[in-house]
Amino acid sequence: MASDQPFAFLFDATRCIDCRACMVACSAENDVPMDDTRIWLSGDGVFGTYPDLERASMPYHCMHCLEPACASACPVGAWTKRDDGPVVYDAARCIGCRYCMNACPFGVPHFDWNKGLLDEPLITKCTMCTQRLDVGQPPACVQTCMTEAFQFGRRDEMLAEARARLAGRPGKYVDHIYGEHENGGTSYLVISHVPFDKLGLPAVPAMPVNATTEAVMAGTIPFALGWAAALTAVAGVVRFRQARMTPPAEVDGQDLPVVELADAIQEDGQ
Amino acid sequence: MTDRAAITSRRDFLKLGGATLGAIGLSTMVPPKVAQAARRNGLLTAAGDGLIPTVCEMCVWRCGVLARVEGGRVVKLEGNPDHPHSQGKLCARGQSGLMTTYDRDRVLHPMIRVGERGGGLFRQATWDEALDLTASKMLAIRQNYGAEAMVFSSTHNLSQLQFENLLNAYGSPNYGTQRSLCFNSMVTAFLLTYGIEEPGRNYDDVEYILLVGRNLAEAVSTSETRALIQAVDRGAKLVYLDPRFTKTAAKANEWIPIRPGTDSAFLLAMIHVIVTEELGDCDFARQYIAGCDDLPAAMAQYTPAWAETKTGVPAATIQRIAREFAAAKRRALAHPGWRTSNFVNSFQTERALATLNAVVGNVFEPNGCLLATNPEAGGVELGAPPQPSYPRSSAMRLDGVPWKYPLVPLKLGVFQELRDAMLTGQPYQARGWFISRQNPVLSLPDRARTLQAIGKLDFIVDIDVIMNDTAWYADVVLPESSYIERYDPLYALDGKVFIRQPVVEAQGEARSALWIYQQLGERLGLADYFQYSDEEDYLRQQLAPTGIDLASLKQAGYAEPLVRPPEPSQEISFNTPSGKIEVYSETLARAGFSPWPTWEEPPAPEPGQFYLLTGKVGQHTQFATQNNQYLHKYEDEPRLWMNETVAQERGLKDGQLVRVTSPVGEVEVKLLATPAIRPDCLFMAAGYGHRSKGLRTAFGHGGSDSDLHVTYTDPISGGQALSQTFVTVESA
Repeated sequence: MASDQPFAFLFDATRCIDCRACMVACSAENDVPMDDTRIWLSGDGVFGTYPDLERASMPYHCMHCLEPACASACPVGAWTKRDDGPVVYDAARCIGCRYCMNACPFGVPHFDWNKGLLDEPLITKCTMCTQRLDVGQPPACVQTCMTEAFQFGRRDEMLAEARARLAGRPGKYVDHIYGEHENGGTSYLVISHVPFDKLGLPAVPAMPVNATTEAVMAGTIPFALGWAAALTAVAGVVRFRQARMTPPAEVDGQDLPVVELADAIQEDGQ
Repeated sequence: MTDRAAITSRRDFLKLGGATLGAIGLSTMVPPKVAQAARRNGLLTAAGDGLIPTVCEMCVWRCGVLARVEGGRVVKLEGNPDHPHSQGKLCARGQSGLMTTYDRDRVLHPMIRVGERGGGLFRQATWDEALDLTASKMLAIRQNYGAEAMVFSSTHNLSQLQFENLLNAYGSPNYGTQRSLCFNSMVTAFLLTYGIEEPGRNYDDVEYILLVGRNLAEAVSTSETRALIQAVDRGAKLVYLDPRFTKTAAKANEWIPIRPGTDSAFLLAMIHVIVTEELGDCDFARQYIAGCDDLPAAMAQYTPAWAETKTGVPAATIQRIAREFAAAKRRALAHPGWRTSNFVNSFQTERALATLNAVVGNVFEPNGCLLATNPEAGGVELGAPPQPSYPRSSAMRLDGVPWKYPLVPLKLGVFQELRDAMLTGQPYQARGWFISRQNPVLSLPDRARTLQAIGKLDFIVDIDVIMNDTAWYADVVLPESSYIERYDPLYALDGKVFIRQPVVEAQGEARSALWIYQQLGERLGLADYFQYSDEEDYLRQQLAPTGIDLASLKQAGYAEPLVRPPEPSQEISFNTPSGKIEVYSETLARAGFSPWPTWEEPPAPEPGQFYLLTGKVGQHTQFATQNNQYLHKYEDEPRLWMNETVAQERGLKDGQLVRVTSPVGEVEVKLLATPAIRPDCLFMAAGYGHRSKGLRTAFGHGGSDSDLHVTYTDPISGGQALSQTFVTVESA
């Protein structure tokens, strides 16, 4: 049945055995360079005091936010959130400013220093294997997961599955679905037997980072135009005064523009 | 790649090592042509694109694979959903398989050593020259010293059938598998108790699982690991015994860090509780267990209180687990284990496991969770080319089977004893060693001793895909094609026949084992034993009794025989002398061993010493995959595990270099200070510390516990006691 819901991953940490097949599958599927990765291990690993021990790890990759901060921070529109879920990147548009790296609350996009400095700017991260989605296949990491720690489907179905698992095994899981609300909701949902910080997942507020980034970005162009207007005004005032005033030798000409500049900024309201 | 072009001009003399390490590739990797066979069968388009079913060989589990090919190059491997072992999934090793094929360190041409052994000086040879040389050396050894002076070894691969054919036709009794470093104690114990090598496991109905060191989350067998995790997810209880908090321990309801070497005490006490409290399936026991009536008396001394003094596990815990296990009845499973070569008493651990399952009656259907039937072939019988009978060999086997080890099955052997016989020349001197895809230089305990033994040999030939450590010390290296480049003999599983077939053209001049053995057979005057014109002809002869057509088998990757074998009898019987489960074994008694599962006190470390444990990681297979760049990329750095409190007490810091010393060797390795191991134990994953400079990824990476292991052999099963070496540690 077709759905207008985006696709989403559901990761169940209780099923993951940290075998790393997903990581190898991703590298092979996407021909990821040997010194790079799009999935990395996250979490505390073994913790506790012998012999009272627990283990926490997860394959960490792009959360594919419903309202991606990377996209909102990008000044040139190199990031796009596809309707079917993946947050994708257009290298041809990227100018290498790396605002996306700073904007992402999950620390996901990273810069390929090999290519980025000498060749062309290149930011890399998980693409949800769009080349596979486009032919009806799940991402490579999901496809090979032998314990089905990874599941994949429409986001509403994955949320329903997560809720069913939490309800079905009381006490087994932390009573929370990470990604349901974090940063406005993500397409990588996580359920776990240990607190989410043990998996290396950041505490991210439900309000998407975009609320901030978009406010900032929304103000940026008026701000820039305002600056241009203000400076033009200052230049005009200066020129007007220079034309009207007595020869510069008779006054302390150094101070005048500064005072006027400060006034101009105040008047502009920025 | 750029340096290779320069090196290829130096055709005749190649120093493998130091500055010219790149020489191992010998010539540039030619872009693979489209696999001709696959294209003929319509599996590939003219452009070389397609999805071809084949079978994995990154471990011995043999998952079904779908290989995605683009432009004649494998770009992705995925699990075949129609194969019972993959069920659409592959592990990290399976996913990495294309990197084994495209390994920059592939041996691409036959190589002949020209410098001293282990010096890395080889020259490229033609197949004719390398095969002629090998055959002439083998013929000379047979003529001068007898066929028994030639040792053959290979382990657990699909071409093993033809390997055994070669050694039997040649006439040598000396067959070295690596099984005594692995599962001799498990197989020998279950043969003696149930009459089968390895019982199957039923996870569909299981409610209570006891794993004794069976680290299924890291020693991955895809479908079984999957089934275990699904069972736990469903709510089955998992009790896990291991001195380490492994990734399997992390999934267990209860992790018991038992003292090494005392598993059998724990199990014997469980049996004691079950039989004295009469918690088992008494009807089943009386009907099917030999020794049932005397079992309580035989187990009387093994009380939980006694076991606590051995294992360090509270008596109440053992008693509770015994009761819980028995309450689950047929839905209980005590896993038989796999690599069970831990202590010289490991055979008794396995006997106790076989008994524990039997007394709760779980060893037969319906719903029984340990299956006393061999799940493998599922009744399918494959054909074989016609051949004469083998020459009889009256020579004693160098590995002491059966004259020193009367109960060890011939097909298992005692590999470490074979190595010692090469060194001592007793009862006679071995002269040559034929090795196929095995890495004894790295796998056998006491590597220094193995290298000494090699020094006693006149001739060593090794067949491998890469320049593994054993190839590095060989005189002739014959390059085998990788598993996605070749045919291997067909195999049957769950009533179906599966095919491994070439997906891409072989790199360089690499060839299949089927071809190599046949070529050698012809040169040894044994052509009558190799009556097939090529690999496909061999496969057709295998298929003859089944009625399956090779072309359709290649298309689907598997097929069901048209000629169905008769349904197996539903009558319960066991292939033992009494026809029952032999908890009491007359065979053992006659050989001078305890007829009952029994306690044998294992040695323990002196103060200041540690147990040195070995085991697997989920990213590698034994001693073969460490050069795979994908696996290297995603493995944990190989380190020596030490309990963090002990490390702190000794002033050792996480990540520092330490020196580990055993009675036979020492290694320097980085320390991992972790809470995940008993304070009296250390752990090193097996398979690291390669010596071959022909392996640019694996060379010098981590340390090898084989440098440290002392050779201790269990007199009953022939298993090597890999955890019985005690070591000291100091800052390096």
